[in-house]
Amino acid sequence: MASHDDKGVKRSNMEDNGQDSKRIKRAENGDVAPEKYNPYLAHLNEDGNGNGNGNNGDFESPLDSFERHNTTAVQAAQAEDSELNPWTGQPHSQRYFDILKTRRDLPVHKQRQEFLDMYHNTQILVFVGETGSGKTTQIPQYVLYDELPHTNGKLIACTQPRRVAAMSVAQRVANELDVELGQEVGYSIRFENRTGPKTMLKYMTDGQLLRESMHDHDMSRYSCIILDEAHERTLATDILMALLKQIAARRKDLKIIVMSATLDAQKFQSYFYNAPLLAVPGRTFPVEIFYTPEPERDYLEAAVRTVLQIHATEPEGDILLFLTGEEEIEDACRRISLEVDDMIRESDAGPMKVYPLYGTLPPAHQQRIFEKAPEPLRKGGRPGRKVIVSTNIAETSLTIDGIVYVVDPGFSKQKIYNPRSRVESLLVSPISKASAQQRAGRAGRTRPGKCFRLYTEKAFKKELIEQTYPEILRSNLANTVLELKKLGVEDLVHFDLMDPPAPETMMRALEELNYLACLDDDGELTRLGGMASEFPLDPALAVMLISSPEFYCSNEILSIVSLLSVPSIWVRPNNARKRADEMKMQFAHPDGDHLTLLNAYHAYKGAETNGEDMKRWCHEHFLSYRHLSSADNVRAQLKRIMETHDIDLVSTPFQDKNYYTNIRRALLAGFFMQVAMRESSNSKVYKTVKDDQLVMIHPSTSVTSPYDWVVYNEFVLTTKQYVRTVTNIRPEWLLEIAPVYYDLDTFEKGEIKSALTRITDKVKRRQAIKGSGSALSGGSEEKDTKKDKPSLTPMNVTEFIDLVGVVVEAKDENLEKKENMKKSKKRWRKGRKKTKKEAALLVPPV
Amino acid sequence: MSSTTKDPSTNGAAAAAAADSDSEDDYMKMTFTDEPTFTTASSSKSKSGKPIETSLQRRLRLQREGEIRGRVKSKAELAAEEEARREAALSTSLFDKLVAPSPKAAPSSSSASASASPAPAAAAPVIGVTAKSKGLAMMAKMGFVPGTALGAKSTDSEARTEPIKISIKDGREGIGLESERKRKMREAAEAAGEMAKKAKVDEEGYRERVRREREEARLERQVHAAQKVAEGMDEDYGDEVGGEEGGIQKIEERDDDDREDGSENGSDSREKKRRKKKTGASSSRPLRAIPVVYRGLVRSREEAERERRMPYDLEQSSMLSSTRLPTYVDDELDMDDKHALGKDIGAVHKPWNTYVMAEDLDEEDPELDEFNALSPDERLRRLVLYMRDKHHYCFWCKAKYEDAEMDGCPGLTEEDHD
Repeated sequence: MASHDDKGVKRSNMEDNGQDSKRIKRAENGDVAPEKYNPYLAHLNEDGNGNGNGNNGDFESPLDSFERHNTTAVQAAQAEDSELNPWTGQPHSQRYFDILKTRRDLPVHKQRQEFLDMYHNTQILVFVGETGSGKTTQIPQYVLYDELPHTNGKLIACTQPRRVAAMSVAQRVANELDVELGQEVGYSIRFENRTGPKTMLKYMTDGQLLRESMHDHDMSRYSCIILDEAHERTLATDILMALLKQIAARRKDLKIIVMSATLDAQKFQSYFYNAPLLAVPGRTFPVEIFYTPEPERDYLEAAVRTVLQIHATEPEGDILLFLTGEEEIEDACRRISLEVDDMIRESDAGPMKVYPLYGTLPPAHQQRIFEKAPEPLRKGGRPGRKVIVSTNIAETSLTIDGIVYVVDPGFSKQKIYNPRSRVESLLVSPISKASAQQRAGRAGRTRPGKCFRLYTEKAFKKELIEQTYPEILRSNLANTVLELKKLGVEDLVHFDLMDPPAPETMMRALEELNYLACLDDDGELTRLGGMASEFPLDPALAVMLISSPEFYCSNEILSIVSLLSVPSIWVRPNNARKRADEMKMQFAHPDGDHLTLLNAYHAYKGAETNGEDMKRWCHEHFLSYRHLSSADNVRAQLKRIMETHDIDLVSTPFQDKNYYTNIRRALLAGFFMQVAMRESSNSKVYKTVKDDQLVMIHPSTSVTSPYDWVVYNEFVLTTKQYVRTVTNIRPEWLLEIAPVYYDLDTFEKGEIKSALTRITDKVKRRQAIKGSGSALSGGSEEKDTKKDKPSLTPMNVTEFIDLVGVVVEAKDENLEKKENMKKSKKRWRKGRKKTKKEAALLVPPV
Repeated sequence: MSSTTKDPSTNGAAAAAAADSDSEDDYMKMTFTDEPTFTTASSSKSKSGKPIETSLQRRLRLQREGEIRGRVKSKAELAAEEEARREAALSTSLFDKLVAPSPKAAPSSSSASASASPAPAAAAPVIGVTAKSKGLAMMAKMGFVPGTALGAKSTDSEARTEPIKISIKDGREGIGLESERKRKMREAAEAAGEMAKKAKVDEEGYRERVRREREEARLERQVHAAQKVAEGMDEDYGDEVGGEEGGIQKIEERDDDDREDGSENGSDSREKKRRKKKTGASSSRPLRAIPVVYRGLVRSREEAERERRMPYDLEQSSMLSSTRLPTYVDDELDMDDKHALGKDIGAVHKPWNTYVMAEDLDEEDPELDEFNALSPDERLRRLVLYMRDKHHYCFWCKAKYEDAEMDGCPGLTEEDHD
């Protein structure tokens, strides 16, 4: 034992030595006097500085002489120029000085003093700077040098509408300040937090700040909050603006900067009690705008044609074409590439590279758009060029240099919500005038450019709306209302939003939350509602997750929720659709897409524990590694929240015949409002409950024999109406799990009501025969069996991992089943009735 | 009945069905004023329906309903119904639903059935929630009044009271195409309306019109004849005077020989401007120089001539290259090529041996338009005057007089000569 102790002592000595040597080394550089590091003399230093600076009291910083809210641009510049990093005391790297030089060239730099003067004299400031002015990276740093967070421990927050922007800007600013990302400068986005105790400047998504404020109603951690890209008017930014307006009245020490890239800043000014405005001109060149003389019959065709004409006749310069979605973009890319090949062959055109750009494209592919345009095919040949075919991400959030020509068909995909039919969907819609101007502006980044609008000037003037509708007018507000309730906003009706939504939207949201038991009849937050608001999820998903232990499948529901929170994990490349579909069939569960998702996830986890190369495994199985691993990450985060709220993580044993049934029932606990009933037995058409919309099941489904009743994850509105990600359910469950929503008195007369009435009668009859009379049929049986079985006690996590193994094994069994099904497919097509019987056999007994 | 008066406005296609239910409602209203919509609900779908229904009727009804349910709808029917339902849902305010809890027939179903069969009406939901919305109750507690907007109390709210409309775009039509199409259809409809209006003329008017039309046609013929005479006389006069009058030159009217180089005095400078590469001859002076009284005659003749030559011209140019503009000069062609292509090899100095077309043929001519807008008798009168003034010729006497006095001519009008 003694020796052990000795060792311990020794180690600690060694550590001390190590530290000492490091310190000495630093001292040898001659920058800092060695005695400074004597811990016994630390108090002397503090006295000397008199500033009481907390975390960097162990070195001399130019900041020490700064007076908070009374600094000048010259002072700050001197601090930036010093050999030592004023924030960390470490010597600046060469890269720092390189970047500093480029920073000083940015348009905002010239107005640093002007900015500081205004900042000192106002609580709320509106700042307008076009993209490329440097406002997103520089303004927070200017604030940093004025707020001096190390003196009072309060942070500076800068919000971004997009996760990617928050991450990449934080990285950039960390480089600019010569600090490590996650230390002095960090970021916080949903499901990912990279900040530490030293963090002074925090980039975050607007949604994340909103979530944070649920526990800190005054946002007391922050001394300054910067809302960037406010012109995008995201839902969270709009809510934040309204909140900050209230908080600013309570907290006079909180400074607010609203940053916008467009010139409609007046609206922001008047909203914030006529706040002063500072505008920084961007670096832009004039853009010539062309309209078509006649409306186009096919904008895609016209777009492709225009791109080719530009390539044939216009001088050097890259092209940016705006389209609406992945499919359309890939289609256009293919057509352009083919035509360009012809042009090169036939008329000696220059080479042209075509790059797609959309949100779901893997980051590595997205990076390719920054590649240089190709060289001429031979020396002295016609110049090469690149064309980027993009969704409207290239409209504001991404800056690509070298674009000289913009082709604008005038459409984008926009989220739209209508409370009357409760449809939330992405729809191709005409853009706004502001949006069209923004697009045109993209052509003038490097030199004078041209913008080709594929509509007439008359159409531009008459058909386009002035501004894109803010997101708050196009969204389901259930989640927002829940958050606001949690934020302590009592009077939702008179909540001072910049653009208040339609009253019906609010009514729907309150109603939905009431059905989900998140709000009571008086509109007060229930315990369940409070808990649901803790999850960064839609209320329906949160409620489903919270109630899942009652169905003995919280592990599985947790996985499903995570999978539903990320983009689709299925990869279906155009050139291998069939193989991709076959692969998907391996994971398919005949009773539900939710279950298919779960199978895929279990297989993924199984392969992972087997030590497979996951990227390859995913590639082979046509699954998205990126989205699966991010689902895994989401799952871990959600699990942590569940654990803090003592929500049990349990599973039904996989061998139990109710394994999948329990999951299907648990889905209804959150999604009972998203149920559809088949119109008639041989029809493919379903009718949504209470909204009476006609829908079909999306062709991507893996459900082989859909029941008369299905629960769905989303309603997709295109030219057709689809429900996507569906699972078979039994109507009895609805009456049992959501009796309030399925109170027949609240139903309008119709087929659904009569069907439900029949079911109620049937259930009653059955109960009468049995004489048990406790609950409804299917459910009651299951409940009884559950009580008997000791195996249904909550499982711990290790058991769950075991279970995953089991599932993977069992999956093979499942595969066999699939094989059988495939074999019998021929017979399936021959006789409908026969196949139905067979299919019924494959369905797990309920 | 209040419900039925609203219905037709919601959907035009529903008009027939709406009218149908209208009459039904009327009939029922006379007897059972309390339950005006009872029959619409029960007639096709409600189970508990009519109190007096024999078993036979019931069986027939059930059978009929079963058939309707069992029928597989076509894609078009489905799409139409889908849309109708969506529109129905989107056009009804949730507050209206609550304010008017009495069930009313959904316009959606009737529109669908109008296009397909009366069947889907059975599926029509009865809009109207009996229970009051809890959501609305909560909002009312916060001080909300239906019909107002949300937002801060102080601001004079310009906030919206209605949700944003959803419009579904199908296909890849560009912006503005839809409205352009609608505009054209509207114009066509208006034009058709005017035509219909014109057609409504009584018999008296018909006879009158026919008589007038005949008279006008006769006058037009006389105008045409007078124009010809006037032109001929001007030509003769021009020959005599020898181009003294500048613009007026001889016109070779029926020059069918394209090969003959007939452009008489076309200067090089003018010819370079000419667009058509063609041999041939015709007037080379601007139309403006021709007196307005018979300019229309020359103009229409020139146009007819151009029309006649068009196919040949196109053929010629397409032999070179269809994409090339007429202004294109192909330097690579040597003399043989030109000969082969039918170009004039003789005219080396004048490579553009061009069909001489009045150069302002394509231009607007307001003076002529004004003249043509006159009534035929007025035009005739002017022609007659023109010939009298210039040539001392009386169109009616068909004779030329020695001097301006024109002794022996009874007068200016046709009637004077009767």
